[in-house]
Amino acid sequence: MQQRSVVRVGASLIVASLALTACGSRSEDGGGGTATKTAKIGVIAPLSGDLSALGLGIQHSVELAVKQANDSNAIPGWKLEVDAKDDEAKPDVGKTAATSLSSDKDVIGVVGTLNSSVALQVQPVLAPKNIVQISPANTNPSLTQGANWQSAPKRAYPTYFRTCTTDAVQGPFAARYLFEKAGIKKVATIHDKKAYGQGLVGTFTEEFKAAGGQVVAAETINPEDSNYQAVISAVKPSAPQAVYYGGEYPQAGPLSQQMKAAGLNVPLMGGDGIYDPKFITLGGKTSTGDLATSVGAPVDTLESAKKFISDYNAAGFKDPYAAYGGYSYDAANAIINALKESLKDASDVESARPKTVEALGKVSFEGVTGKVAFDQYGDTTSKVLTVYKVAGGKWATELTQDLAKK
Amino acid sequence: MDQFFQQLVNGLTLGSLYALIAVGYTVVYGIVQLINFAHGEVFMIGAFGALSTYLLFFDGQTGVWILPIMIVGAIIASVVTAVAMERVAYRPLRNAPRLAPLITAIGISVFLQELVRVFYDRIPFADFPSAKQRIPFPQLDGVSGKAVEVGDVTIQRSAIFTVAALVVCAILLWYFINRTKLGRGMLAVSQDPDTARLMGINVDRIIVVAFALGAVLAAVAGVSQGLQNNNIDFKMGFIAGLKAFTAAVLGGIGNIQGAVFGGLVLGVVESMATQYVPGQFGGGTWKDVWAFVLLILVLVFRPQGLLGARVVDRA
Amino acid sequence: MSIPTLPDAFVEKHAAKGWPVGLAGVALVIIGTFMSWSFDPNILGDLSVYGYPGGLQILAIILSLLALVLLLTVKGPLASRLGQWLDAALGLRALGLWLLIYMVGVILAIATDSSGLVNVDPGGWISFVGAVLVFAGSQVIPLRELRDLGRARLPGWFEIAAVAVVMAGVLFGAAYALAREDAWSFVLVLVFAGGTVAAMFRTGTMGWFGHVATRRRKVLTLAAFAVAFFFPFTQQGSDANMSIATSVLIFAATAIGLNIVVGLAGLLDLGYIAFLGAGAYVASSLSRSAFATIDWHPPFLVIVLLGGCVSATLGLIIGTPTLRVSGDYLAIVTLGFGEIFRFSMFNLDGNNGPNLTNGPNGIPGIPELAVGGFNFGDEHVVAGITLGRFSNYYFLLLLLMAFVILVFTRLNNSRIGRGWVAIREDEKAAEAMGVNVFGLKLLAFAVGAFLAGLAGTIKAHQDGATSPDQYIFLESAFLLAAIVLGGMGTIAGVLLGATILKLLPEKLRFFSEYRLLLFGLTLVLMMRFRPEGLVANKRRLLEFHEEDEKLATAVESELVEEAK
Repeated sequence: MQQRSVVRVGASLIVASLALTACGSRSEDGGGGTATKTAKIGVIAPLSGDLSALGLGIQHSVELAVKQANDSNAIPGWKLEVDAKDDEAKPDVGKTAATSLSSDKDVIGVVGTLNSSVALQVQPVLAPKNIVQISPANTNPSLTQGANWQSAPKRAYPTYFRTCTTDAVQGPFAARYLFEKAGIKKVATIHDKKAYGQGLVGTFTEEFKAAGGQVVAAETINPEDSNYQAVISAVKPSAPQAVYYGGEYPQAGPLSQQMKAAGLNVPLMGGDGIYDPKFITLGGKTSTGDLATSVGAPVDTLESAKKFISDYNAAGFKDPYAAYGGYSYDAANAIINALKESLKDASDVESARPKTVEALGKVSFEGVTGKVAFDQYGDTTSKVLTVYKVAGGKWATELTQDLAKK
Repeated sequence: MDQFFQQLVNGLTLGSLYALIAVGYTVVYGIVQLINFAHGEVFMIGAFGALSTYLLFFDGQTGVWILPIMIVGAIIASVVTAVAMERVAYRPLRNAPRLAPLITAIGISVFLQELVRVFYDRIPFADFPSAKQRIPFPQLDGVSGKAVEVGDVTIQRSAIFTVAALVVCAILLWYFINRTKLGRGMLAVSQDPDTARLMGINVDRIIVVAFALGAVLAAVAGVSQGLQNNNIDFKMGFIAGLKAFTAAVLGGIGNIQGAVFGGLVLGVVESMATQYVPGQFGGGTWKDVWAFVLLILVLVFRPQGLLGARVVDRA
Repeated sequence: MSIPTLPDAFVEKHAAKGWPVGLAGVALVIIGTFMSWSFDPNILGDLSVYGYPGGLQILAIILSLLALVLLLTVKGPLASRLGQWLDAALGLRALGLWLLIYMVGVILAIATDSSGLVNVDPGGWISFVGAVLVFAGSQVIPLRELRDLGRARLPGWFEIAAVAVVMAGVLFGAAYALAREDAWSFVLVLVFAGGTVAAMFRTGTMGWFGHVATRRRKVLTLAAFAVAFFFPFTQQGSDANMSIATSVLIFAATAIGLNIVVGLAGLLDLGYIAFLGAGAYVASSLSRSAFATIDWHPPFLVIVLLGGCVSATLGLIIGTPTLRVSGDYLAIVTLGFGEIFRFSMFNLDGNNGPNLTNGPNGIPGIPELAVGGFNFGDEHVVAGITLGRFSNYYFLLLLLMAFVILVFTRLNNSRIGRGWVAIREDEKAAEAMGVNVFGLKLLAFAVGAFLAGLAGTIKAHQDGATSPDQYIFLESAFLLAAIVLGGMGTIAGVLLGATILKLLPEKLRFFSEYRLLLFGLTLVLMMRFRPEGLVANKRRLLEFHEEDEKLATAVESELVEEAK
C-alpha cells in the first residue's frame, strides 16, 4: 500500500511538471518590431595585463569606427556591434576568444590580434568559418605569406589581412637606419623568442650583415623574467654600439634601464612593440636616446589623422588610442567598407561571410594612416615606416620613409 | 677572467636576494614543519608596501633618506600580511594532515597575488597605479644610477645595497637568535616543541615571531629587488619564492646559516650557468632550469642539504 | 552544515500555525508566477507576461509544488503513508530557505539588470511574500521521529526507475542550465538545483537514493554514461557548450589520473600538468601541422600510446626521488619538475637547444584527427540533430573517460590499491607488512602520468595548438583543487570538482576578474571547514575528523558490511 502511493505521488508530480513545461513554449519575438539586423565586429586584443595599453587603444578605435558607421547609417538595414574579447597576450586565451566569436553566428569580422603569436592560433579558428580578420599590429611575415615566406611565399589563410607593414620591411628598415644614418657598425641583438621578436631580429640581422655591419652578440630572454643582468653581462664584453631588441615594452623598458645601470651606455632600438609611452615610464630617465621603428607615418602628423584624433578625444574614452589606434580604426573601416558590398542583399550574417572576404580584398580608400588596400597575400600595400627617438621623456619623430616608392 | 668576476658579482647579488627570502622559509619550517608556500607573496607585498609609502609621502623626490622610511613601510606591510595569514589560515590547521596546510598555502598565494592585481589601484584615498602591469619602482640617489667600475667589473649601486642589507640582516638575526630570550625560545621550540612548552615557552607566540621575522627579511628583499629591477609586479613573488625555497633546501632546511649559504650558492650557480654552460643550453633562458635541476639533485642525493638540516623531515 | 533553528519553546507555541502559513505561502508563490515579475521583458528571458509563466517562473512553481507535497505529508492526505518515512519538516525548512534565496536572487537580478527595484512587477513581490511565508511556516513545523528511509525496501523495478528518473533529471537539468545565456539566469537555475538537492538530502530521499545507488551500482554507472552520451544531442549543434564540455572531460580525465597519485597513494604532486603537456607535445610534434618538428606521422593509435608512454617515463623519472624524499619535499620536487618541463618546452626552439617545440609560439595549426576515414572536424547529422566537431571529440573523450575510470576503480579495489592506501596511512607500517613501497609509489606515478598523457594527445588535436603557457603551475594547482574540492580518492567527487572549476568561470563571465581571487579563497576555506571535499570518501572523512567517534563506528560497520 505504501509503495503504491509513493509511485502515485511521484508520477503525478512528473506529469504535472511535464504539463507545465509543455505549455511553456512562448513565441520569441515578444517585443521586437524593428527591421534592423545585427552584425558584430569582434576584437581580440590584450585588454588586461602588461600590454593592455595597446589592446584598449585597439578596442576603443574600433568602437569609434563602428559608432560612426552606425550614426551615418553606412549600411542600410544593419546595425553594427563591437564584441571585444581579451586574449591576455596569450595564444591559448586568444584561441578561446576566437572560438567563442566564431560560434556566434552574428560575427562577420574580427579586428585583432596585437601579438603575432596569438594570431597564429586565431587564424585557423576563424578561417574555416569565413570570418575575416584584420590585424592592426601583427608584423610577422609568415602570417600572410606562410611558414616559408622567404623562399616560397604562399598565402596562409584567405581570411587574414593586416593594415600594418611586416617585419620583413621593419627589421631591415631599422638595420638600414642604424648602419647608414646613425653610423653604427656593431650591434648586439636580444629577443624574447616569441614570433614577433624572433622575426624582427631575424630580418634585422640579415639586412645589417648584408649592409656590412657586425652582429657581435645574439641573446634571448624569457619575457617572464624581470632581471636581465645575466644577459647584459653576456653582451657587454663584446662592446656593441647599440642593442637591437625584438619584443615589447614591458621587457624592453626595464632592459634599457638595467643596461644603462650596468654601465652599458648604448641606445636600445626596437620595433613597434616598444613604441609606447610606457616604455619610457619603465625605462626611466636613462632611456633618452633609445630608438624605435613603427609602421606608418606618425598618426598625429598626418593630415588625414587629425579628424580621427579629435573624434577619439571627443568620444571620451578612458584610455589613449596608443600605438595602433589609427591602424585599428582603418581596419574597422576596411571591414565596414567591405560590408557595404556584402551585406547589401544578404539575409543573414553567416551567408554574407564569404562575400565579405572577397570584398575586403578589393577595398581601397584613404584611411587615417594612408591608403588602405591589400595585396595578393593580404598585406597592406602601404610601406611607410618611421623611426622615433626618446627625447625629453617623449617619443619624438626622427625619420619617416616610404619604402614602397623606393 | 673578468667575465668570471663579473658573473660572481651578479651571482652574489642575486644570491643575497634569495638568501633574504630563504631565511623566512627556513625559520618557519624549523618551528612548525610547514612549507609556507605563500612566503613569496609576503616578499611581493613588501615591495608594494615600499612603493606605496613612496607614492603616498614622497612622490617625485629622489633623496636617499627616503629609503629607510620605505623599508619601514615594506616591513609593516609584510609583517601584517604574514601574521594575519598565520592566525587566520595556518593556526586552525596546526594538527591537520600535512596536505591541508600545503594546499592552504597555495590558496593564500593565489589569493594574495590576485588581491594586489585587482585591488591595488582601487585602494581609497590613494592614487596608486594599476598593478595589472609592471609598475616602475622609484629610483633614489645613491642606490641607483651610474654603476661602480672596479677594473672591468661593473657593480651596480643597487647590488651594493642588496649585499649590504644581507650582511646587516644576518648580523642582527644572529644577535636576535643567540642573545635574546625570544630568540633562544625559538631555538628551543625548533628542537623540541613539547618540551619547550613544558618549560613555559609560549609556543603560539614563538610561531608568530617566526612568521614576523621571515616577513621582515622578505620586506628588505622586496625593496632590494625593486631597486635592482626598477619595476615590480604582482607575479614577482612566485618564482622568487620558489628559488628561495630551493636555496633553503640547498642549505639544509631549518638551518638559518644554511639558508644564507644556500641562497648565495644558488645565485652563483645560476649566474655561472648562464656564462659557462656551453652551446645552446647556456644563456639566460635556461638558468631557471639549472636551478631546479640542482634542487632535485640535492633532494635526491643529500636531502639534509649542504650544511645539514636542523630538523629531519618527519613526514 | 546545520541550519540554525528557532528556540524550542517558540516552535512549540506556534507549531499549529506553521502548516496553514506554509500552505498560504505556496499558494501565493504560484499565484505570483502567473503574473508578471519584471517590467522589462529583456531580463531573465521575459518574465513580463500575465497568465503564462516563463522558464524561471516554472522553476519557482516546481519548488513550491515540492513544498506542497511535503506540507501534505506533514498533515493531510499523504501523512499516513509517506509521513513516517519522509522527514518533511527538515525538508520543508531547506526548501523554504532555498525558495527564499531564489526569489531574492530574482529580485536582485531584475533590480541590477535594470534601473532598480521599481522594475519588479507585483507578481514578483507576491511570489516573494509567498517564499517568505513558506520559509517562516517551515521554521515552526515540529520535527518528528522517523523510520530510517534507508531500510525501506521497494520493488527492484522501482529502484531502477528511480535511478533512471534521477539521471534523466540530471541530463535535462544540465541542458537547461547550459542553455541559459545570461549569468543571472544561470545562477538562478543553480539555486533551483541546489534547493532540490538540499530538499532531497533533508527529507532523507537522498540517503535512500544513496543506498539504492550502492545496491544498483551497475545500473547507475550505465545510466550515468547514457546521460553523458546523450548530452550532445541536447545541444542542437551549438559549439559553445560542447567546447566547455570537452574541456571539462579532458580536465576530469587528467584529474582522475592525479587522484591516483594524490588521493590513493597520498603523494602530493604539484607539477602534474606536465604529464598532460608531454602527451600534447608528443601528439603535436608528430602531427601533420606545418610547424610540427618531427617528420614522422604514425597512425593516431600509435601516437596515443606513445604519448602515454612518454608521459609514463617522465612519471617514473619524477617518481624516483620518492625513494629518498617524502612529504612536502616531494611536493616541491614535483613542482620544480613541472617548471623544468615548462621552461624546456619554452626553450627548445632552435635558438636555445634543438628545435622540438617551436618555443613560446608553440605548435599551431594541428590538423583535425582522422581515424580510418572518419574526420573529427566534420559535422554529422544523427537523428536530425547536428553534431559538430566538438561533439566528435566529446565522444572520443567519453571513451577515454570510461577507460580512465575503469583503470582507477580496478586498481583501487585490488591488492595494489590497498597497498597504496596502506602507504598513504603509514609508510613504515606498510613496509613492515611487506608492501613493496617504492615499487608501488613508482607505479602510482607511472599510471597517473600514463592516463594524463593519453588525455594530452587528444587535447592537442582538439585544441589545434600546443604552447608552453597552457602548462603553467596554476593549471597544476587547478587540478589539485578539483580533487580537493570534490573529495580525494573518489571519482564522483573529482567529476564534480572538475565540472565546477571549468564550467563556472565560463558561465559566470562577469566575475572573471575575480575568478582566481575566489579560487584562492575557496581553497583556504575548504581546507579550514571541509577538508574532505564535497563528496567525501568515508575513510578519508575519518582522517580529517579523528575525534568523531560516531563517524568512526559508522565507517567501521560499513567496512564490516562490505567485507561480508
